[in-house]
Amino acid sequence: MTRLTSIPGLPPLLACLGILVVWELLARWYGLNGLPPASQALPQIPHILSDKESLIDMGESLRRMAIGYGLALLIAVPIGLWMGRSRYAAAFFNPLMMVIYPVPKAALMPIIMLWLGVGDASKTLVIFLGVTLPLIYHSYQGSRAVEEKLLWSASAMGLGGFARLWRVVLPAALPEILVGCKTGLVLALITMVTSEMIARQAGIGNIVFVSLDLGAYDTVYAMIVIIGMLGILFDVGFEVLRRRLVGWADSPHTIMVGSA
Amino acid sequence: MIAIEGVSKRFDAARDRRHLALNDVTLSVAEGEFVSILGPSGCGKSTLLYIVGGFVEPTAGRVLVKDVPVRGPGPDRGPVFQEFALFPWKTVLGNVMYGLQQGGVPRAEALARSRELLTMVRLSAYENFYPKELSGGMKQRVAIARTLAYRPNILLMDEPFGALDAHTRTGLQNDLLHIWDKDRKTVLFVTHSVEEAVFLSDRVVMMSSAPGRIKQIFDIDLPRPRSRAELLLDRRFQDYVVEIEKMFDDTAQQAPA
Amino acid sequence: MNAVRQWSERLIGAVPIIGLLALWQAIAMSGLAPPALLPTPGVVFARFFQQLGSPAFLDHAAVTLYRLFAGFMIAVVMGVTLGIAAVGSRAFAAIVTPVVRVLAPVPKIALYPALTLTLGYDDASKIALVIADAMFPILLATYQGASAVEPKLAWSARAAGVSPVRTLFTVVLPAAMPSVLTGARIGLIISCIVVFLAEMITSTDGLGHLLMRAARNFQTVDMFVPLIAISMLGLMLNALFNLVRRRLLRGFPEEK
Ligand SMILES: Nc1ncnc2c1ncn2[C@@H]1O[C@H](COP(=O)(O)OP(=O)(O)OP(=O)(O)O)[C@@H](O)[C@H]1O
Ligand SMILES: [Mg+2]
Repeated sequence: MTRLTSIPGLPPLLACLGILVVWELLARWYGLNGLPPASQALPQIPHILSDKESLIDMGESLRRMAIGYGLALLIAVPIGLWMGRSRYAAAFFNPLMMVIYPVPKAALMPIIMLWLGVGDASKTLVIFLGVTLPLIYHSYQGSRAVEEKLLWSASAMGLGGFARLWRVVLPAALPEILVGCKTGLVLALITMVTSEMIARQAGIGNIVFVSLDLGAYDTVYAMIVIIGMLGILFDVGFEVLRRRLVGWADSPHTIMVGSA
Repeated sequence: MIAIEGVSKRFDAARDRRHLALNDVTLSVAEGEFVSILGPSGCGKSTLLYIVGGFVEPTAGRVLVKDVPVRGPGPDRGPVFQEFALFPWKTVLGNVMYGLQQGGVPRAEALARSRELLTMVRLSAYENFYPKELSGGMKQRVAIARTLAYRPNILLMDEPFGALDAHTRTGLQNDLLHIWDKDRKTVLFVTHSVEEAVFLSDRVVMMSSAPGRIKQIFDIDLPRPRSRAELLLDRRFQDYVVEIEKMFDDTAQQAPA
Repeated sequence: MNAVRQWSERLIGAVPIIGLLALWQAIAMSGLAPPALLPTPGVVFARFFQQLGSPAFLDHAAVTLYRLFAGFMIAVVMGVTLGIAAVGSRAFAAIVTPVVRVLAPVPKIALYPALTLTLGYDDASKIALVIADAMFPILLATYQGASAVEPKLAWSARAAGVSPVRTLFTVVLPAAMPSVLTGARIGLIISCIVVFLAEMITSTDGLGHLLMRAARNFQTVDMFVPLIAISMLGLMLNALFNLVRRRLLRGFPEEK
């Protein structure tokens, strides 16, 4: 028993299998029209993934996501680090963050579409907005926790303000920043899907609703599985990266922040 | 009362890093006896106490309390930890009452008994304070009251005064002896201080480390009730302290790092 | 001295919020954007306060609040129970841990179409979505907090003759409370966000629906109002949460 569960990756695989079995059984017992069994929905996945049009759609979605996420990284991390080292910077940004935290960023989609149209720019902007706050937050926490003594010795070695931020605070806060990055990545995916569900114009989220309207429930569920797999893939991929970069720091408390 | 029979404890931190914390420890403690355990840091004193408490299972051997093998914690054995381990979300009174209330003692009775104990440890004025608002010595007294509340026959005390300053410490030693003199519970008392051990105990057990085992047992033949002021002038007391301290030094030197 | 510092920090904090409003006002007045696209903040807030007196608007807000609360509460109960149970029982943990590891990073919003198909377009599907989204941070925080509880606290209870299950709920859970509440706060914010989004995607009532209805009719001012409402709701819930938190954590050492 302990032997089996200690094989890495096996328990999650078994969990996946278990979830599929539960799904299958539920669908068969209840015989709901809106819940096709897993054995019907899953075969749709290869169909979707070999369809050129939906592949392009998904590629476009992922491209926007990458751009929005990358931009957010460039802006949010420095702000967060700065907030952690200066009480005035923290006092400046904190209330603003509190006010905008509960606003669902994907909900800005209709307004932003009004200004920027339904194209790439709106969707990318929404993803950017969705990811920024948690990134700032985690960088802030990480930089705030950097030991004062590290900075003293850096000053003693003659490092200036910016150099200290870059050479001392950033590496020391890196584990926490990466937690933020991981959270942000999953968030970016969520914002992307949601905003596409709201805009109903293109992308992964749109495919789901188009199939829903067409009554192609198998496809709906297959798409849900695909999106879920993307989330898991990002999560696992990032965890591997994180271990590489900051293997020295033990896995910090990662409380996933879902939804945007 | 307590019979520790051939107890060993091995910790398996990893497949290649096994650590024998206790090796074949045998000791019996009579009813109403006050026994101290001395030994270098890391020799397994706490582990031994936890095993008697039933919190940790031995790798080999067993512990009998009143001829019954220990299978887990029970209200016949009350621990007092070095770290106090008070419930931070409960007031002083709440901490002391917790065990009684959970045990189904009626509220009025639990309240009366808890207040009585708090008076005994001289903390009745602090019953509505939270642990974080107390000094170290006060916290330790609350912890002792909390344990005494459910009337264990055996007290298992792990360096209860270790984290306190010398003055508070001697004060609490006097308090403890005073409380103990009333109903003579069986006490297993871990400490680092030879003086403390001699002052309190009927017997002092010296352990050596890596692996932890009993090195020697000293009978402390001093009259009770004991008073600190008198004992400090007592030649026999001084001899015990010097003798045990010398043995302690030797033991510590032999200990590999 | 301390008061002065606190006030100056509050003032500094007000700067970006006021600045943002001022920028908004400036752009709206400069004629860069026509009022149909960007109404002035004055107009928007006037409309917001006017709506606060409108029973129809309040009904929508109440619907949103109900879904949010129902979902959040169920998520708290489920998350805490599962988290504590996983700490209490190894066998249970062996089942729950991998399932959570698989499900936690799944974007729950993607499940929403499935939820509408199985639970209908009404409250149930939205509450279910809130539960699915808010439960995981609470569960993880509870699990982590409870596994980090000093074992001697639990031992102290067990030694007093308290059963393992009771110890779990009377000692381990309260001791893990700071962590549980951290998770619950995240869950609360998520609940706020998720109800709104679900209402935007498909709904006939609630604040999210109001936003979509306004968008369809190109009533720009009315598009801003639900957003302000949800932000205010979030701030209020957060304040309420802090009150509860302070009471629950009275005996714990201050953070930081
Ligand atoms: N949970 C554990 N896992 C692994 N090793 C442990 C564990 N608990 C104790 N040990 C090891 O067992 C040995 C004995 O520990 P124990 O705490 O009993 O010592 P001690 O005599 O009480 O020391 P001290 O006087 O410093 O309190 C130590 O070497 C310690 O490293
Ligand atoms: Mg110890």
